Amino acid sequence: MTRTRSTLENIVVVAIILVLAQTLLEDLAILLGWSVSTREIVLLAGLFFDLFFTIEFIARCYDAYRYRRLSTYLWYERGWIDFMASVPLLILNSGPASIALLAGGASITGVGGLLNVLKVVKAIRIARVLRLLRVLKIFRRIKNTDSVMAQRHGATISAITVSVFVFTLLALAIGGTIVTLANFESFYESRAVSSLDYIVSQDLAEAEHAAALQQYAAADPAILQVLQGGQVRYSRYDQEYIDRFYRDVDFALVSSAATDIALWIDLSPLNREQAATNLRYFSVILALVLVLVFVYSPHFALTISDPIHVMRRGMQEPNYNLEVKVPSEYRDDDVFRLAQSYNRVFLPMKDRAHAGDDAESSQIQLTDVRDLLDDIDES
Amino acid sequence: MNSDGERAQAFVGRLLQNPALNGLTLLQREEQILQFLQVNAGQLAPTLSSNHFFPGKNWQQIVSLLHEQLYKATDEHLLPDVDRLVREQIEFTFIHLLRQQHVDDAKLATEVSALVKKLLARPEFRRVMTGPYTALRHGVVDRYLDEVFNRKTYVHFELTKVQRLRLGKDEIRQYIQLNMLLKPTIAMIKLPVQNESQQQAGMVQHQFAEKVLRLLKKELQLLPEPVLKSAVDANVSFNEHRFLEATARLSAIFSARSRNYQPNMKVDRGADSPDKSWLNVARRNYKFYGFDVKMLDELYKIAAENMW
Repeated sequence: MTRTRSTLENIVVVAIILVLAQTLLEDLAILLGWSVSTREIVLLAGLFFDLFFTIEFIARCYDAYRYRRLSTYLWYERGWIDFMASVPLLILNSGPASIALLAGGASITGVGGLLNVLKVVKAIRIARVLRLLRVLKIFRRIKNTDSVMAQRHGATISAITVSVFVFTLLALAIGGTIVTLANFESFYESRAVSSLDYIVSQDLAEAEHAAALQQYAAADPAILQVLQGGQVRYSRYDQEYIDRFYRDVDFALVSSAATDIALWIDLSPLNREQAATNLRYFSVILALVLVLVFVYSPHFALTISDPIHVMRRGMQEPNYNLEVKVPSEYRDDDVFRLAQSYNRVFLPMKDRAHAGDDAESSQIQLTDVRDLLDDIDES
Repeated sequence: MNSDGERAQAFVGRLLQNPALNGLTLLQREEQILQFLQVNAGQLAPTLSSNHFFPGKNWQQIVSLLHEQLYKATDEHLLPDVDRLVREQIEFTFIHLLRQQHVDDAKLATEVSALVKKLLARPEFRRVMTGPYTALRHGVVDRYLDEVFNRKTYVHFELTKVQRLRLGKDEIRQYIQLNMLLKPTIAMIKLPVQNESQQQAGMVQHQFAEKVLRLLKKELQLLPEPVLKSAVDANVSFNEHRFLEATARLSAIFSARSRNYQPNMKVDRGADSPDKSWLNVARRNYKFYGFDVKMLDELYKIAAENMW
């Protein structure tokens, strides 16, 4: 590997660690109710990373294409994970959110029905689970064994496990946007619509019912503001507080077609619920990967690749005479039965064959002295 | 560079500096280089016989030139080291106990050291000396003997009851060390043509060992005959001669083990420890090498328990 390539790979590793932290922070920021300005910084950082990984994916594709190994990269070297963890996120998640932010918000408020609004919010968030695939990118770089087979096996098992988990979540989430089932969102929507109906039916937006409106709206935490003809009749918080803690995705408008009354509904409980769910998913995936890296991979190395490695060296190197360690609990495994034959039959036979003939067993290779021959030649 | 000798010296000097030889004893290094020259003769011969290296010389001449420089470079450090081993590492107190009379240690050391240094001029001697020298340099005998005396089973019984060594642990250790140092004296005369398996296993027939013993007695007059006999008997197969001294049988095992011994060898994950592996293979090949399998069994258990 050239120095430039090695440096770039190291930069990618750092970026993966940072983006995992960013993914955590993005959900934590919602869950802990951080200010809009902080959340916007985290959001823009997400855009930067999505852009970075999209460029990385394109660069890897180009590099693979140059050497006519694009399909190898995409299918056998898990390029599809690089794709799923970059391009869709940029297009569906951080891209639109950042554009909305830079355009001054209102990406959600123009949508008609509240449930439609919620579905759009949810659809944008669905793509975020793909970020969890990036855990696999860092996993690829954890080399706790020298065996290529063990590394590939561990990486494949992790890719299958995490991908199945993420894509199942994705499918369920997409299914949830298509088929409306009784859930927290539909409950939230029906409550908001009921509140609007009640305010309209009781004329609570009228000036003479101001006290009743205050009492009713204050009792329903979903109501952020009540408007009539563009005038604020009720506001849960002052405008400065709303500006500081509410982004465009944190509220939605429910309006009555017959009257000029509208409600700004507070979506932050829904967002917090979604963020908590994302964190749970993230924890599950992280736990899965850690178990695979630190429990399953060493087990695979112990029972498969290590004994094979020892036997391969014993067969290839005249001087290598170490036996394979056979753990008693695995002695009936095929690999260890082979290893027992190697210990009992092959090594003693090899030892006898090489007895009194050490000519093949020099530890110095001809390549070790190539420069020596050149040096003496020059001197 | 001016002479062929200087060129050969430079070539050998650079080979000796090869990192692959780090951790090996002087004789192991020498052996590695001899093997390297032998294995790669086909590739080295055209280059080294060119005008830039040794013009006008054939490969045989070049090899003997390189061997000469190699022995010279090794001896520069080896001869003082052998002297130090004999004078500082081996204590001859057990000789006084065996002979029941006082013999000057310095004279004994001088006699042994002089013979070994004289025999080091013979390539065959150097070859068989590699194992014993490595064992002495790394104290291979010491750690096993400690365990043998803790266990007091077969090996201990053979040493104290069968061979009837009325010596303490330290004296027996010195006995075995001297035994190993003198084991290669079997090469003081040209080894006879033997059957192939004996030759491969490095064993000699008992009659030949007796012939060497007679010569050895003349060279080392201060040492008692049982010590010398045990040393040459270490080259005889236990299968053919069931009355070999326990010290001879142990010396044979430790010398063979130490031939390729490397103290800080990196053990691959999934592999057994070096001593345990070697002893287990030796247990299966005990007939071939003429080892005492019961001794191998005990040493194997010691190695397994201590993860050596």
